[in-house]
Amino acid sequence: MRSKHIFVWIVLLVVLGACCITRLMLTRSTSGELSLAWPETTYIDYRLVPMLAAIIVGGALGVSGMGLQVLLRNPLASPWILGLSSGAGLGVMASMMIAHQRGIGIPEGETIGAVVGALVALVAVYLLSRGRGGLDPVTMVLVGVVVSVICGAGIMVLQHLVPMGLRGSFTTWLMGSLPETMSYTRLGILGGVVAAGTLLLAWWGPSLDAACLSDDEATSVGVHLPSLRFRLFCVSSVLAAVGVIIAGPIAFVGLIAPHGARLLLHSNHRMLVVGSAVVGAMLLVGADDVRQLVDLGTGRLPVGILTSGLGGFVFLLLLLRGRGKV
Amino acid sequence: MRLHISSLCVRYGKLTALRDVTASADGGKIVCVLGPNASGKSTLLRCIAGLQSPSSGKVLFDGSSLLRLHPRERASKVAWVPRSSEVGGRFTLRHVVELGRYAIGPSPARVDDALATVDLLDRADTIWHEASAGMKQRASIARVLAQRTPGGLLVLDEPTSALDLRHIRIVSDVLRKCALEGDLVIAAIHDVALAINLADTAFVLRNGDLVLAGQSSAVLSPSSLGDVFGVDLAWATDDGGKRHLVSP
Repeated sequence: MRSKHIFVWIVLLVVLGACCITRLMLTRSTSGELSLAWPETTYIDYRLVPMLAAIIVGGALGVSGMGLQVLLRNPLASPWILGLSSGAGLGVMASMMIAHQRGIGIPEGETIGAVVGALVALVAVYLLSRGRGGLDPVTMVLVGVVVSVICGAGIMVLQHLVPMGLRGSFTTWLMGSLPETMSYTRLGILGGVVAAGTLLLAWWGPSLDAACLSDDEATSVGVHLPSLRFRLFCVSSVLAAVGVIIAGPIAFVGLIAPHGARLLLHSNHRMLVVGSAVVGAMLLVGADDVRQLVDLGTGRLPVGILTSGLGGFVFLLLLLRGRGKV
Repeated sequence: MRLHISSLCVRYGKLTALRDVTASADGGKIVCVLGPNASGKSTLLRCIAGLQSPSSGKVLFDGSSLLRLHPRERASKVAWVPRSSEVGGRFTLRHVVELGRYAIGPSPARVDDALATVDLLDRADTIWHEASAGMKQRASIARVLAQRTPGGLLVLDEPTSALDLRHIRIVSDVLRKCALEGDLVIAAIHDVALAINLADTAFVLRNGDLVLAGQSSAVLSPSSLGDVFGVDLAWATDDGGKRHLVSP
């Protein structure tokens, strides 16, 4: 590892640490004044849980985005191109509607809805993108967009059918927000899945490097592309799904984090995968810090609005700088 | 080491790219594949490199089909240079050359050696997207030089199309050196004069048919090539008594 890389890693970890500590300490009094203070033991869980969730979700989306950008040969790919978030959204909406119509509470209804919806969308994208030589990147982007549009239409139909009150809670889910309560066991399991996915992708780093060549050249240097693409699809999907289960659809972190890692590290994919996880975590914890600072008088904003707003500008910047140049 | 192509046919839908091609070649030789545009040169090379399944017929390398091998295993026997390389992401030329060692294991010495051979060692840290077409082509050739195992198969699709005269000479020399080490070098070459200088054996394609195959000095004559390309060609002799193909 070059000394420049070591320096960048230290800076990244220090910034991530600073964002995390800020998240734990930032306090807003009832009169609206901001201060930095260590929270009382009774309240620490309400800050520790969203902070850990932000690290897990940010890391998962960053790594998933990196995997998909290699899989789809597209620097503008992100986890949402798979149709996963709109599939999950449709699932959540359906579970809410069923619970409402039956007049019962379904335990873990939203999670089950998200998982089932995401799975159905993914399987559809996978089956429709499969060609003779395995997954075809160009078809996959198009199929992902089409599946998203169809699920989006389904979401709107359901929204039209449900009463106003339910529409509100659903719209909040669609914005994406970090949970303030969640059991540590659950966070631990989901965090473990994200860590395992990150390590797997980092382990495949040399294959990801070679997959940046054209199909013929990658095959000729020894990459079994159909197998690599299938593995990338599976791991990236699982990671994006973890993000959706914890926080709903958080936009743009999956797109920006891999580019951030590339800009900072200029390196091979083994390091870029881990870099994407760290940058993703940093972005989401940072966005959550900013969210604490903004008070519009209507409660704090869901973090998804911030990532969409800021991410949109960064996305435009990337587009304008030209494909493949960043 | 022997390459044998028998009754090879490739069809893309209704289009027939190769029709009943049968030919063979031995290790230690340079085979140049010539032919007008869309005559099936690239398709033939992709079939030989094991990158494309034929519609019918076989390509056998020492009696076995390369298509059945795992790419990792195939990479130690065959190295491939496409007409123009594509690299996504932010890679330096050195990194692209290192990818040639993906299946075989890293070897900084081989990578440096390959870069030096194609005159790129001092510009190895240039970013791929910022390199000129000629530098990219040389980097791709360096990649297969880092990858190749002597006695293997080297397949190149127009490896000199973006190169200047000096680098054409360098690449010609390095291909000859590979052949002397036992490689079978198969290259599609557009420049007929270069092919005449370089080739031991020539395959000439027209509309998917192999119309001429054999020792290049016998096959590559003004009348045969003039007929295939649809132009008048003749030999001209220079002051040193060397023959050159010219279009009068």
